[in-house]
Amino acid sequence: MATNLQTPAPYHNNFLREVEERVEEGEWVKMCMQCGVCAGSCPFGPHWEHSPQKIFMMIRAGKREEVLTSDAMWMCTSCYNCVVRCPRQLPITHIMHGLASYAHRLGLVPKGQPTHEFATMFWNNLAKKGRVNELKLTLALYFKDGLVAGIKTVVLAKRLNPMEIFGGHAIKDLKGFQAIIAKAREIEDKKQGLTG
Amino acid sequence: MADNKFAAYICAGCGIGETLDVKSLEKIAQKEGKMALVKSHPFLCSEEGVKTIQDDIANESVTHICIAACSRRAKTEAFSFPGISTARANLREGVLWVVAAGAEHDEVRQEMAEDYVRMGCAEVKKMILPQGNPDKTQAKNILVVGGGMAGMTSAIEAAEAGYDVVLVEKSGALGGFAKQLWKRVPFSAPYSEAQPTGVEELAARVTAHPRIKLHLNSTLAETAGAPGRFMIKIAQESGGVSDITVGAIVQATGFTPYDVNKLPELGGGQPNVVDQAGLETLARTANGAAIQRADGKVVNSVIFLQCAGQRDDSGTHLSYCSGHCCATSIKQAMYFKDANPDVDTMILYQDLRVPGMGEDFYRSAQDKGVTFTKGKATKVAGNGHGCSVEFKDLILDELTTLNADLVVLATGQVSNAGVDLDKWTEVSTAAESGDASAKEEQQRLRTTSVLKMNYRQGPDLPQLKHGFADSHFICFPYETRRTGIYAAGPTRRPMDLDQAITDATGAALKAIQAVENAAAGRASLPRVGDLSYPIVRLEGCTQCKRCTVECPFGAIDEDERRFPQFNEQRCRRCGTCMGACPVRVISFENYSCDTVGMQIKAVNIPDEDEDKPRILILACENDAYPALDMAGLQRQVYSAYVRAVPIRCLGSVNTIWITDALNSGYDGVMMMGCKRGDDYQCHFVKGSEMAYYRMSKIGDTLTQMGLEPERVQTLEIAITDSVRVAGLINDYVKQIKEIGLSPMKGFG
Amino acid sequence: MTVPTATSRMILVVGGGISGITAALEAAECGQQVMLVEKTPTLGGRTSQLYRYFPKMCHPSCGLEINLKRLRGNPNVRVMTQTEVVAVEGKRGDYRVSLKLTPRYVTQNCTACGKCAEAVSAEIPDAFNYGLSRLKAAYLPHAMAYPQRYVIDPSIIATAEGQKAKAACPVNAIDLEMVEEQVEVNVGAIVWATGWRPYDANKIQPYGYDRFPNVITSLEFERLADPRGPTGGKLLRPSDGQPAKNIAFIQCAGSRDENHLRHCSRVCCMASLKQTQYVREAGGDGKSTIYYIDIRAIDRFEDFYQMVQADTTVSFVKSKVARIALNEANNNPILHGVDTEGYHRYANEHDLVVLAVGMEPEITGLLANGGLRADIVLDSSNFIEGCAGGALEAGMFGAGAAASPLDVNRSVQSATAASLKAIQVLHKVASSEVV
Repeated sequence: MATNLQTPAPYHNNFLREVEERVEEGEWVKMCMQCGVCAGSCPFGPHWEHSPQKIFMMIRAGKREEVLTSDAMWMCTSCYNCVVRCPRQLPITHIMHGLASYAHRLGLVPKGQPTHEFATMFWNNLAKKGRVNELKLTLALYFKDGLVAGIKTVVLAKRLNPMEIFGGHAIKDLKGFQAIIAKAREIEDKKQGLTG
Repeated sequence: MADNKFAAYICAGCGIGETLDVKSLEKIAQKEGKMALVKSHPFLCSEEGVKTIQDDIANESVTHICIAACSRRAKTEAFSFPGISTARANLREGVLWVVAAGAEHDEVRQEMAEDYVRMGCAEVKKMILPQGNPDKTQAKNILVVGGGMAGMTSAIEAAEAGYDVVLVEKSGALGGFAKQLWKRVPFSAPYSEAQPTGVEELAARVTAHPRIKLHLNSTLAETAGAPGRFMIKIAQESGGVSDITVGAIVQATGFTPYDVNKLPELGGGQPNVVDQAGLETLARTANGAAIQRADGKVVNSVIFLQCAGQRDDSGTHLSYCSGHCCATSIKQAMYFKDANPDVDTMILYQDLRVPGMGEDFYRSAQDKGVTFTKGKATKVAGNGHGCSVEFKDLILDELTTLNADLVVLATGQVSNAGVDLDKWTEVSTAAESGDASAKEEQQRLRTTSVLKMNYRQGPDLPQLKHGFADSHFICFPYETRRTGIYAAGPTRRPMDLDQAITDATGAALKAIQAVENAAAGRASLPRVGDLSYPIVRLEGCTQCKRCTVECPFGAIDEDERRFPQFNEQRCRRCGTCMGACPVRVISFENYSCDTVGMQIKAVNIPDEDEDKPRILILACENDAYPALDMAGLQRQVYSAYVRAVPIRCLGSVNTIWITDALNSGYDGVMMMGCKRGDDYQCHFVKGSEMAYYRMSKIGDTLTQMGLEPERVQTLEIAITDSVRVAGLINDYVKQIKEIGLSPMKGFG
Repeated sequence: MTVPTATSRMILVVGGGISGITAALEAAECGQQVMLVEKTPTLGGRTSQLYRYFPKMCHPSCGLEINLKRLRGNPNVRVMTQTEVVAVEGKRGDYRVSLKLTPRYVTQNCTACGKCAEAVSAEIPDAFNYGLSRLKAAYLPHAMAYPQRYVIDPSIIATAEGQKAKAACPVNAIDLEMVEEQVEVNVGAIVWATGWRPYDANKIQPYGYDRFPNVITSLEFERLADPRGPTGGKLLRPSDGQPAKNIAFIQCAGSRDENHLRHCSRVCCMASLKQTQYVREAGGDGKSTIYYIDIRAIDRFEDFYQMVQADTTVSFVKSKVARIALNEANNNPILHGVDTEGYHRYANEHDLVVLAVGMEPEITGLLANGGLRADIVLDSSNFIEGCAGGALEAGMFGAGAAASPLDVNRSVQSATAASLKAIQVLHKVASSEVV
């Protein structure tokens, strides 16, 4: 099944079911009552295309591509305002992260989506050494917009240990860690129907 | 009957003694009020004070007393003497607390108090102790019309309280609309699953109950009589008629679903479009398995359109909301989900209305995967396989067309209340004037009647709005305009099963109360327990029919000679008939043209040169009079030139009181009643309306008397208007002074 | 105080609001003996604190007047105020109920002349006005208080103020030595008409009821609108006493919210729609905005909703307001949220915010005190569903807002029905006891 091309019938539950099955906390999406408190509670609200409540409605309406390519879930800062206020106690933050992760897996992330890029770098960085090399990660992040801007930011920040740029240290059982990651990904992919 | 003996008791407490000349009040009660016994007491409502009165009743054979103290609304229990006619002269709230303080007001204050004593004495002199309606009734059984859930509930609940019930059902079986249901919405925690209806169990209990007599395949052919003695003809389908007598009636004739064929734009009439009732039939057929359409196809996708033909502001369909339909659609969507979670079920709503614990039912449906979309359908069309629904998603702000195997229209409830009395009045008035087609129409209307009452005011219960036979009052949902007849269930108001059961239980109580009241000769709401009833002196009657036409409760019929025929048990004691009567032949024992007329005449009218106007206030006892009282309680100050008389209702005001007052030199009359119009507040329905109407006709009389029209004022006063009413009085006094005092003084 | 002797032929009604009054009167007018107990010093309950009813815009005090008249004229009902149920023992047909009587310090001699209030200078918050104003510590609870007797607040009992009140009373009606009493009565059936209380708005933190002076509750707004209320009927802002011109009504303040009350309180939509008309009636250029999730204007109330929709002074925003901030310059609340119909973000400044607070069953308080029997079945929001054991054992019934979040009309229906259920218990007990 070519999952990332499928266009569900509008308002039929295929996409909702897909989300329930494959997205972390996705089974909560159906419980939203469209009050909009999450949308109003989000500090990043003004900067995104769709609010959580709208994303949930779009899921129910079967707007698969629009949802998965939306930048909304990439903007979440995990402030949890929405979760605290949601009258239906939906774990909105988690659902948004779940959707982001799912979109990433399907390769449907909007091009140049900064959070996604950061997350990818973060992940690659972590996966490589088993721990996060903050300096390399930050440099990669800052230099993505160009060399000069990056240097300025780093120098002004003065908060990183420049020595970490030379290799950085890994966790003790790096191979074991990488094996764990590979296995986890395999299990997760299987669960979400992306392989096998 | 023993001779009447009159006594007056003047309280000097609460500052009355310090501010007013009580001795002089005593003298007035004695000399002018002609009271045989006059006493004052420093604290009349105390045990000792009350005992003084009780002793006089016991030892001095006092039969009538005038208590000059606080308002009739205060210390009511203390000053209640069974078997004794009692008038209250309001010196505290009516004088002491409202007249400006200071010696310069002493004279007018004292005059006001003296007048109230005169008025109290004059009133009690004309009062007769109500004996209760001598025409006591016997029937204490209850007729329930309609054998659906509400009717069966009323029947069983009344029977369980020890009352015999006659249940008339037009079809061959009990159960009504509820019998068509596969399941019902839950009534109790956890409010998550549809429940068995319980109809069969209830029907079995009703059928087996020794106190319930069942008439299936039967309808009413005639309802005559009054509470405690309704005479009913029950017509069987087979043609037989049986006569029964019952004490009270509960009408639980249910509703009819709004006709889907009137909704072609929403696919009404198309094969794959059903209403909620139609869906119940499909669900019953499926019996828990996958629901199939009429053509046998298993339904894999279904869309529920809420408010179909409801909440319509275009005037085409029902303008109201039927309340139950959101929860009903939720329940029906669950039918599909419970049989097969893969069925797509969408509820398209504008406002999801599931109050109270319905919120849990809503959650449960969401949890089962029912999709809720806020939107409005614009078009439903049949296509080869099912239906296409065009709608606007209001959240996503876009138009969409969607296909589904089945569309369910959540249509509304149309009350089976019978004949619309407005229509009836129109037709019967035309018929009376000899219009042949109107006569035919009247006959036709009568066949559509449920109760077939032979009341002058028409054959069914008056309808409030949208065809429902509801009460007009928030505090009194069973305050019916036909005494002893109560509507229950969706006949009364759109409602769900749970509410219908509660409603029917409440209606059963009211029916029980009605038979007990009728048996004791008492009035029911709002003058509960009133034993007085209208007495008519037929020899003076001119057969003008005003009383019969204007009675808001249909209590007065006309006999063959067109004389009014009073049905006391239907009467609510408002006195509208008394106010209507041009020849003043109608009165109550303790409230009559005389009891009020003599109070008006008792007031001392100063000469013109004294420059002291006298203004009569006729105040509705339920709203305006309490507002005046509370003005006192709050120490609002108003003019000492007014004299207030509490009346049962503005509708009871006979114009003779007004003309007598003006003839005897009053400078103005303020009639204070409650709000009129569509949202009227009058518990006697049209009292305020009638007063306005009658006063609009008094203009000519005033002109003939050479008086300005401003001398009679009709006002709407709410009970909360305690501040406003003081202002209105003061403004009016100013206005009267500007117009000048009445030229009629000294001629009365 | 004389305590009436109750027998198992008597119905006990707990709660003297409109449901309790109704349950008591309906039974009494069927010829039953009823004891009506109320924990505050006056009957009337929450409805007496409302200015007007929807949808007729008529006055609750009008119905109260009729009910009080029914009560005064009916010897079958015995009213006990300042009385609370502390324990119930026994079974259907034969309950033994312990009642706690809190002293009023004023005897039946009181004529409500008001001399004690004149003499006293100490003031207490006026509970009838939800504390928006203060009244003397010797007081009549409100203009239609029944019984029409003053109350001496316990705070001045052992003080010189208390002595002043006593000295001022011309009829020796003040008894400062009164003490709490406990009595036991025997009744056949019990109707619980304990009503509701407004949900504690302080708990809804993002709305800042506890922090912002111009955020008030819908109940407080009723008092502002009432000519007999703290502002004489003027809609004035608490912060500066200026007329409120741009008022926001926030629906579901506590209701339909699993963080607060999980149920829908049913009345709040209509209450806010009604209150927009107070704003209109106040004249001037007052505007109302209703922030809502669903407008629940059921059955003919829909007419009222359509009327308000057509009112140009009222606008609607489909949104649960996310939070309120304060404009510190003028104390105006600023509402933040998103209009979900099409996704429009707003930051709207209003000069007054009215929170349509939800209905919480008052029984919750009884639960906390352990005063409720285990066989009373409550739903997940603590509304009374009924009595355990089914129809043959049930002798206690919930009525009105104690049983469900109901409007006045439906509360009265519910109370009337509960009254019949209680009558049935007496009837059955009596008929099985026939010698």
